[in-house]
Amino acid sequence: MNILRQIWIVSLINFRSIRLRLWRSLVIVVGMACVIGVMLSMLSLTEGMLKAYKDTGDPGRALVVSAGAQSEGNSSIARDKARIIMDAPGIAKAPDGSPMADPGINSGVPVLRLDGRRAYNNLRGFGPRGILLRPEFHLVSGRMFRFGTRELIVGASAKSQFKGMNVGDKVILPDGEWPIVGSFTTGDLLDGQLIGDTETVMKAIRRPAYNSVLVRLSSLNAFDSFKRALTTNPALSVEPMRQSDWYKKISAGFSTFFNVIAYGIAIIMAVGALFGCLNTMYAAVAARGREIATLRALGYSAFPVAASVILEAAALSVAGALIGAGIAWALYDGKLGSFNVNVFKLTVSPALIGMGILWAVAVAVLGGLLPSIRAARRPVVEALRAT
Amino acid sequence: MRYLPLIWSAVMRKPMRTMLTLLSVTVAFTLFGLMIGLNATFDEVAAKARADRIFTNARFGGNGMPIAVAHQIAAIPGVKVVTAVSGINGYVQDPKNSAFVLMVDENLPKVFGDWGVSQELWDVVQKDRTGIVMSQIQAARWHKKVGDTFTMISKQVKRADGGSTWTFKVLAIGPDFQQNSQGYIFGNYDYIDKAMAPADQGKIGEADLIANDPTTSAELAERIDHAFANSATPLVTITEKMARAGGDFAGLPIKPITRGIALAGMFMVLFLTGNGIAESVRERFAEFATLKTIGFSDRAVTTMVVLEAALPCMIGAGLGVVVAAFLARQIPALMPPNFGIPLPHISPVVIAWAAASAFVVALLSAAMPILRLTRMDIASALSGRT
Repeated sequence: MNILRQIWIVSLINFRSIRLRLWRSLVIVVGMACVIGVMLSMLSLTEGMLKAYKDTGDPGRALVVSAGAQSEGNSSIARDKARIIMDAPGIAKAPDGSPMADPGINSGVPVLRLDGRRAYNNLRGFGPRGILLRPEFHLVSGRMFRFGTRELIVGASAKSQFKGMNVGDKVILPDGEWPIVGSFTTGDLLDGQLIGDTETVMKAIRRPAYNSVLVRLSSLNAFDSFKRALTTNPALSVEPMRQSDWYKKISAGFSTFFNVIAYGIAIIMAVGALFGCLNTMYAAVAARGREIATLRALGYSAFPVAASVILEAAALSVAGALIGAGIAWALYDGKLGSFNVNVFKLTVSPALIGMGILWAVAVAVLGGLLPSIRAARRPVVEALRAT
Repeated sequence: MRYLPLIWSAVMRKPMRTMLTLLSVTVAFTLFGLMIGLNATFDEVAAKARADRIFTNARFGGNGMPIAVAHQIAAIPGVKVVTAVSGINGYVQDPKNSAFVLMVDENLPKVFGDWGVSQELWDVVQKDRTGIVMSQIQAARWHKKVGDTFTMISKQVKRADGGSTWTFKVLAIGPDFQQNSQGYIFGNYDYIDKAMAPADQGKIGEADLIANDPTTSAELAERIDHAFANSATPLVTITEKMARAGGDFAGLPIKPITRGIALAGMFMVLFLTGNGIAESVRERFAEFATLKTIGFSDRAVTTMVVLEAALPCMIGAGLGVVVAAFLARQIPALMPPNFGIPLPHISPVVIAWAAASAFVVALLSAAMPILRLTRMDIASALSGRT
């Protein structure tokens, strides 16, 4: 009889008898559900944040910051330098012939989280071409701020994390209260932020220089010539980056940090689940000792018996992982979360779930291996005699 | 106590099952210890926060503020002493090896005396202005000893001659302290500031101060904000007590997260221990019937089952907490450098919570088997009919 068929038949017998060992089998299912549930819940934060960063960064746009800047906040670009940057080659032209470029400003604004903890939100400045540069921008309620006026618009997700982020609310800036006149969505990180007119905001927060310049490249390939023009200009000390690369760069630090914690906790829990799995599978093998011996007496070889034990562990473990992933998905996927100043949707992606299943299989193989060897090695006669 | 031999023989009936259960419980309590220990650290930091210490930052913008602001704050009534806190960010050899040198003025020890760094160490950089002091963690990280030179590259802060390479002499190695798991390097503010390019000079990151009267420090913080509200540098000022109260890490609410994870770990082992004790009782049903026949009360039988469940739980909890305490000390080496997550502290409170949780897990595990035992029909159990 072919070996696969043997594995199939032995496994089938195992699975049919699972309901006799229901509670014991549930140890593996519940254990894995806990491991994968916790792991994916934690990773939904990094995954969601990386996705938000990725969505915000458009390879067709380039961001210019001062050399060595680690964030837009600690970059500074003087007005005369910004003019030089906006005249560089490689920038797409607006319908009126002007370059599609917008110098921007970024500032933290002290706010309160919904639970009263202190935090900062990001206030961003848009110039006249701020919207033209971002086709993903849509107003959802109220109206656009007027240029030259002390008015703000707010991203649609901000109110899920911070107090006072609705149309009609007022935000305290150094020169007094600014009303929020509209709400917008871009589908990315800007959805958590406040936006006002760059020049008016700069006056209010007494900032003489811009933070950065955002440009639309005339084509995806235009970046190199744009970059060369800026980096070879002795009057400038700036770092042009594709916007997508910029967000990749600034997200690297926290994602490493967070992954180390999430995987560290997952590894500890998986070890705990592994001992549970070993326990269950040893007991399952002991309970089916006579069955297995009978099969061996009938001519089944040792390998299918061993394989069936691992298969059973894997099936239970994967079932647990799916439950855990389902719980993490139901609790967190699509829910708005926040890390530092950023607001974004937590994400339990299919890739994460796939990884959870792989973890479950790994734990099952490790946890089923020793019991399966015991099952396969047990002398037939002795097992048949056992009660 | 007199049941002990009975319980011991029950526990050791299937040594493999007992060992695996014990290991699993140990792991769950390792996680429990780390999570609840992290909570304990946040609680301790909040409790240690000084009522009279106040932090002042620029309200808008990440580029710090002029040092003049610190001098103006010092003149506000109710302020005892102000220190200008600043530093240079950079890296050693590779941008991945980020490093930070704190720039210290003579007032810093008066504001942060509780760091436990001795006055002599602070004085070292006031006497030899060109040098730095490293904590043991940092000295180990960069393999430095007293007398070595430490070279750092900073893209943001240029030297007056336009260079980005900063070289310091290591004057002393200082002790580390709990509030800062990454260690520290500090040098002389004045000297480093004057060595910077003119455009970078005279700036500080924040101003920290001590109030004369701890009971009115919140009110003083508001007065400081008010005084600067219409200046060129509006401030956001907060007392240390308020800053530390929320148990907040980068905006994440630490307590609910850590408690949730610890609870998931408990739930995971609850199923295992519950199952184990249920099986153990089922296998010995006739034995329990015998015990009841010879006069063991329901209470005695209940106690035995609870103790049988509690034994691996309590031992596992004890071992797990010990492993957690060991792992907590390894965290600085495991984490990427310069991520200042506080270390879990396995305090007596944490140990008490672990013991209580272990007991609850044992009680819940034993509940169903006990119910069966108290309702058992002795005659049919003895004849093996159940």
